[in-house]
Amino acid sequence: MSLFDPLVLLLVAAGLYMAWNIGANDLANAMGTSVGSGALSIKQVIIIAGICEFAGAVFFGKRVTSTIAKGIVPVDSISAIDPHLVAVGMLAAILAAGFWITLATFYNLPVSTTHSIVGAVLGFGLMAAYKGIIGFEEISWSVLGKIVGSWLVSPLLGALLAYIIFSFIRYFILQKADDPYSIEKKFVFLQTMTACYIAFAHGSNDVANAIGPLYAGLNALGMAGLNIPIWVMVLGGLGMVVGLATWGHRVIETIGTRITELTPTRGFSAEFATASVVVLHSYSSLPISTTHTLVGSVIGVGLAGGLAAVDLSVIGKIAVSWIVTVPVAALTSALIFAGLLGVGI
Amino acid sequence: MIKKEYIRSVLNIFASSPFKPLVMHANKGGDCVRKLNESLLAFCDGDMEKVEALNHEIDVIEHEADVIKQTIRSELSSSIMLPVHVIDLLNFLKPQDSISDDAQEVSFWLTVRKFEAPDDIRDGFRELMAKTLETVELYEDLVSTLGELLETSFSKRDVEDTLHLVVKVEEMEHQVDVIEKDLTKMIFRNEDTIGALGVYHLARLVRSIGDIADKSEHAADRLRTMILRR
Repeated sequence: MSLFDPLVLLLVAAGLYMAWNIGANDLANAMGTSVGSGALSIKQVIIIAGICEFAGAVFFGKRVTSTIAKGIVPVDSISAIDPHLVAVGMLAAILAAGFWITLATFYNLPVSTTHSIVGAVLGFGLMAAYKGIIGFEEISWSVLGKIVGSWLVSPLLGALLAYIIFSFIRYFILQKADDPYSIEKKFVFLQTMTACYIAFAHGSNDVANAIGPLYAGLNALGMAGLNIPIWVMVLGGLGMVVGLATWGHRVIETIGTRITELTPTRGFSAEFATASVVVLHSYSSLPISTTHTLVGSVIGVGLAGGLAAVDLSVIGKIAVSWIVTVPVAALTSALIFAGLLGVGI
Repeated sequence: MIKKEYIRSVLNIFASSPFKPLVMHANKGGDCVRKLNESLLAFCDGDMEKVEALNHEIDVIEHEADVIKQTIRSELSSSIMLPVHVIDLLNFLKPQDSISDDAQEVSFWLTVRKFEAPDDIRDGFRELMAKTLETVELYEDLVSTLGELLETSFSKRDVEDTLHLVVKVEEMEHQVDVIEKDLTKMIFRNEDTIGALGVYHLARLVRSIGDIADKSEHAADRLRTMILRR
């Protein structure tokens, strides 16, 4: 199959759109905290984020990508019946996730791309099972369980880690200093490093949301081997960086100007905790939401007495978006898949 | 129209801090009392036009303080997490708000009758007002330490510095009390020259000016509770 087959082109285009979306929003969210604390200018953030995000995606993004591509739905057994089905199904998954994300962005809802894509891929698998292509028991429920479990654990872990880090800074540095404002200045440099760290972490985990389904499709069509081709990883990394540069700067600016409470010591604690938790999950091949982990970490800093005011009602909103996202993305994806098969693609 | 931003963001987690408006609110109280001091000096000099003009100015500042207070209260919904107890913060906001309220009341009572009394009493009023203003300004200093406290997230040293200021406000309020009692006695001793109505007016003024210092002391005490009970 050639790269210029319409189905392949559609898959690549849809994957790029997801990557753009992730860069424009999720990455921008993760980076906004660096601007908010005054550590970096917007231009600096975009350059740092671009380089580190790209590096994270290309060099450390394979594990999570494999999970999204092959961990949930038994694509190999579907591919054995008809490789085309996998490509169409994965296209349906990206379209469904992309549609839901766009809608959520329109209404400013805290929806995670990770949750959307996992739900969408699951929807494809369920429809395949419904049509009798695979058995329901062939879907890796245990992997899915682990993924959903990690969505619960990751914000809590972020909160715990951020709490510990900020408490350390508080007892050993802030409370011993004569002039706390000079300490903040010193943390500006450290925060530049964590900005890079968080971009790397984000790239390593979230690139999978865009290129996981793309890789699965290409693999089924015989255009990609057992190892994820480097050009696919580069495509994902590039898409996210372009998203950040073209749209993300507005998001960064909005967040940066509104988060004035997050001084460099607080920002450092939250970002370091978030990046560590995300990298840990990338290493464990588990796709999680960077944004939700960041929210957990900020709450952790707040619990350690680091923030003037934290609005906990966001937890409820996130919980709702969680419960809604997976079924909605799954249903949409299943319907698109069935529709595409119906029209004979 | 609200501009749509099209972002799914972490922004919602950050609530607006009540501490900066709290400091602003304390300064509005201070502004009222500074104007009141001018007004009392004009009152003692018999310049009733100025007293009237300052009364309007104080009304405006008092209203501004009320608006800040309402904003602070309306933004503290049950889901907001602060480094101190919300109840303690509200308990401390209330007496702080009374500083401007009481200043407004004194300012009004200055307009209703001209000052006619011996020079000793005139000096007594000037002294009482000066000490009250000093108490309120010390209280403003106390509230402004909240910024540093938050920055170090309540380091022991900063908490001690703040608590020390609370004690100083309390001491100064006690000095106001002493002046207040002496002046009241003096007013009643001069009943023959001032007249019953004059005694009533001046005694009422003394009590109300003293109330301003009382409220500062009360608010300082609540602020201590807020910091210690965290």
